[in-house]
Amino acid sequence: MAAVSPSVFLLLVNGQIESANLPEFDDLYCKYCFVYGHDWSPVSGLEEGISQITSKSRVTQQDLVWNFPIDITFKSTNPFGWPQVVVSVYGPDVFGNDVVRGYGAVHIPITPGRHKRTIPLFVPESTSRLQKFTSWFLGRRPEFTDPKVVAQGEGREVTRVRSQGFLTLSFNIVTKDLKKLGYDMTSEVLSVPEATYRP
Amino acid sequence: MAEVHIIGQIVGASGFPQHSLFCKWGINAGGAWRLLSGLKEGQTQVDNPQNEEMAYWSHPVDVHFATKGLQGWPKLHLQVWHQDSYGRCELYGYGFCHIPSSPGFHELKCVTWRPVGTWQDQLAQLFVGGGPQLKTSDLIYIGADRYRLQTTSMGCVHLQLAVILRHFDRYGVEC
Repeated sequence: MAAVSPSVFLLLVNGQIESANLPEFDDLYCKYCFVYGHDWSPVSGLEEGISQITSKSRVTQQDLVWNFPIDITFKSTNPFGWPQVVVSVYGPDVFGNDVVRGYGAVHIPITPGRHKRTIPLFVPESTSRLQKFTSWFLGRRPEFTDPKVVAQGEGREVTRVRSQGFLTLSFNIVTKDLKKLGYDMTSEVLSVPEATYRP
Repeated sequence: MAEVHIIGQIVGASGFPQHSLFCKWGINAGGAWRLLSGLKEGQTQVDNPQNEEMAYWSHPVDVHFATKGLQGWPKLHLQVWHQDSYGRCELYGYGFCHIPSSPGFHELKCVTWRPVGTWQDQLAQLFVGGGPQLKTSDLIYIGADRYRLQTTSMGCVHLQLAVILRHFDRYGVEC
């Protein structure tokens, strides 16, 4: 097969939502979805997923483990709008209603190889004292109607959030034809190892 | 023309005297640079963290530049603001950093500073808050007029930026 001048490149993402560190909460599940630009389209794999409900280990009161797989391949002509994975974590409150315990987003790593990302999780806060009171009284927390807003740069100045906890993702990235399209993702010319000089 | 993609996040800030912080940011580049797509300025959400060590914004950045020359390599400039419980905003720090010129993933820490006024200003600031601000925000990333300022150091802004270059090798440019 003679692939002379490709016009698209491929980004293969294998990974998993490993675990979350949310000390105050238990019995949580998470959803993920991808946000990407106009030039991007998924080729294969699932764009969205919902994990199982997990609880903390009785032995070591530490992280909530999901070990939830992500396998997706994208194609694009332009790196602009590089996909981001958006994760939202939900769990029951004292009345048993599902409420959000954290939103987070991160760009898929751009370089091939294995990567680990720990992302902060945050929830929106009520802006007025009246809303704060009613949300406390009715047990309804503020939520984003569309979790994808956490991957957008516009309109964020009006939101107030509270960050609480972290989520760990691991990725294995394979790219195809980026180099042929003229893109440099890693510095090959100057591969000088970083060193600190102390006189 | 050579192209540069800057993809990443303004992660958050640490080392500031109080939390409930937000950040105004912008990317400034020289005359040879043209913005093809993406937002080159914005404002993050206000984070009031539960864990008081660091405020997190996770603010996405995705910009695409085309350039005819290397002069005026893009700079990211930041203003960190504090919002109190009444919704009043107070300047906490200015800072800038150059976009890394080598392709790949970079974790950056941008140091920040804040102008200080006379001792009367500082006394007033102690009681009512506020404080001096720059009249022109160009001064954040231009070094020419800085010598007239008296400043104090503030916290750090954490950034994760991935840089993708295109066709730089075609012009013999080594980054």
